[in-house]
Amino acid sequence: MIKFALYGKGGIGKSTVASNISAILSGKGFKVMQIGCDPKADSTALLRGHKKIPAVLDAIREKGKNVSLSDITYISDSGVVCVEAGGPIPGLGCAGRGIINALEKLDELKAFEEYGIDAVIYDVLGDVVCGGFSMPMRKGYAEKVFVVTSGEKMSCYAAANICMAVDNFKNRGYAGLGGIILNRRNVADEEKRCEELARDFGTSVIGRIDRLKEIEQAEIAESVLKNYAPGSVAFKQIETIAENIVSICGGE
Amino acid sequence: MKNVSKRISCYSADTAGICSALYELGGLTVVHDASGCNSTYSTHDEPRWFDMPSRIFISALTEADAVMGNDEKLISDTVKAAKDLKPEFIALCGSPMPMMTGVDFDAIAQEVERRTNLPTFGFSTNGMATYLEGASEAFYTLSLYFSEKREQRADTVNILGATPLDFGLNGSVEAIKAFLTENNFRVGACLSMGASLNDFRMLSEARVNLVISQSGVKTAKYLYDEYEIPYVCAVPVGKFFSKQVLKALEDPSEQVFKNGSGSEVCIIGEGIYSKSLASELLYKGIDANIISPLETDKGVLSQNDAQVYSEEDIRAYLKEKKPKTVIADPLYSFVIPKGTKHYPLAHFAFSGRCYTSKILNFIDREIDIQI
Repeated sequence: MIKFALYGKGGIGKSTVASNISAILSGKGFKVMQIGCDPKADSTALLRGHKKIPAVLDAIREKGKNVSLSDITYISDSGVVCVEAGGPIPGLGCAGRGIINALEKLDELKAFEEYGIDAVIYDVLGDVVCGGFSMPMRKGYAEKVFVVTSGEKMSCYAAANICMAVDNFKNRGYAGLGGIILNRRNVADEEKRCEELARDFGTSVIGRIDRLKEIEQAEIAESVLKNYAPGSVAFKQIETIAENIVSICGGE
Repeated sequence: MKNVSKRISCYSADTAGICSALYELGGLTVVHDASGCNSTYSTHDEPRWFDMPSRIFISALTEADAVMGNDEKLISDTVKAAKDLKPEFIALCGSPMPMMTGVDFDAIAQEVERRTNLPTFGFSTNGMATYLEGASEAFYTLSLYFSEKREQRADTVNILGATPLDFGLNGSVEAIKAFLTENNFRVGACLSMGASLNDFRMLSEARVNLVISQSGVKTAKYLYDEYEIPYVCAVPVGKFFSKQVLKALEDPSEQVFKNGSGSEVCIIGEGIYSKSLASELLYKGIDANIISPLETDKGVLSQNDAQVYSEEDIRAYLKEKKPKTVIADPLYSFVIPKGTKHYPLAHFAFSGRCYTSKILNFIDREIDIQI
């Protein structure tokens, strides 16, 4: 089984990249589970055509200990098992603690075993702001962290913070850094900045996604590229990234 | 609101279970909690504290350290204490505050182990589970790490699940050992009263394990899977039931417990102990069943017994079933219906040092309870 997490600055395109990778891996025969680790619960929206599904924390709130896997999972048209951790009532509670509860609940219900999962993608909100948001990189969860960034200054800054967090946890048996995914915004020196970032943390840029119209159009159509534009350049670029991730994570 | 104890006590929590299970083993136990909480785990829940030294510490977690995620303070203080005290192992366990901030005890244990070269175990306790779960994890984790393959001895029995939280310090555990010895068994490991870390190393020498509380069940299952050692869940109380325990130790496939409907006596308490006592009463012709307000292995309870956790459910059960006598800790008197006799049998994990004279030793002796 391969298990990896996508981190990156808010709004950089992690969920779009994650959903497209999930659909592509599913098409290649993997049984994929994508777990959105964000209180907004919108990581898997493209996979499920924006159909609303209950988040794990909502189900726990409603059913307590009686939550079953079918309450918190949705199988997309492309065969991806979609899960949204969800979060507390906006402005209250603790989102980080919520992520921990949600992931522990999936463990308790033996979600991977029950669905025969062989690829798990954790799509994690923004930065590693507290203990809860480092949960997906803890031992037993993701084995590799991939950071999505553009060449914009703030995006690179957030990416560097995430890489530093991964480095800080190296003595704890946490996930290692798998690489950088460049999601282009066409700013000056974009390639150079990302290469520099990767070099600083002893990793590499494992793939590049150009700023292409079909990505935006697929989003408007509430679809992944595999369904909306399977022969497109954008699809091929993300397919290359998916193949590289599998290779880095030691998958076949 | 469910599971609120308005009139009765609640059982000791998971952290106390870890501290109790590890108390005599020569380790360093650090509870990650605010300063001043040491007495909760090591005096209120630990009768040995007054006569027997142990290395149980509180990390003195502050608000600032919790908010800022300053795990390094816990790590470096633990490493320093370990260098001074030279324990045989280190155990780190949690409390509600680190649970809320998502402290990763396994990862911290890994870091401490790297710096001290001592076996270090992280327990994500949070005060929300019972002492049985904590003690169970402690016994299991150490068994996994320290047990080693040894030649089996046909006469040897291990005792699993012994802590003062269930048996007090009234001589019950010593009486169980004496009972086994008198009946030609050799007592191997006893997890973990009158024990040392070496007891974990020699676990695989036993032919059979005697599990005397739920806290020993997980370890017993592990020893069965790993070394094919069968186990018997029972406490040899009374003159009749203790003989059944001997038979079951000879042939662990034999059903040890008797089941009753509880029309005369209902016993409230830890599952294996209560079921053993109920079986003795049934052998004496008294119809008895049990209420277990604590997690209990499915094989222990019959359909006539009740797994009921909350005060209101216990009260409702007793009101409906109308047993003549309830055997339970003195603090249960507040939920026992009027007209029902209450025979007080204190349980340290429930009432602490309040009623130590009523923590009774029933091992292999005549039990005379007037119902």
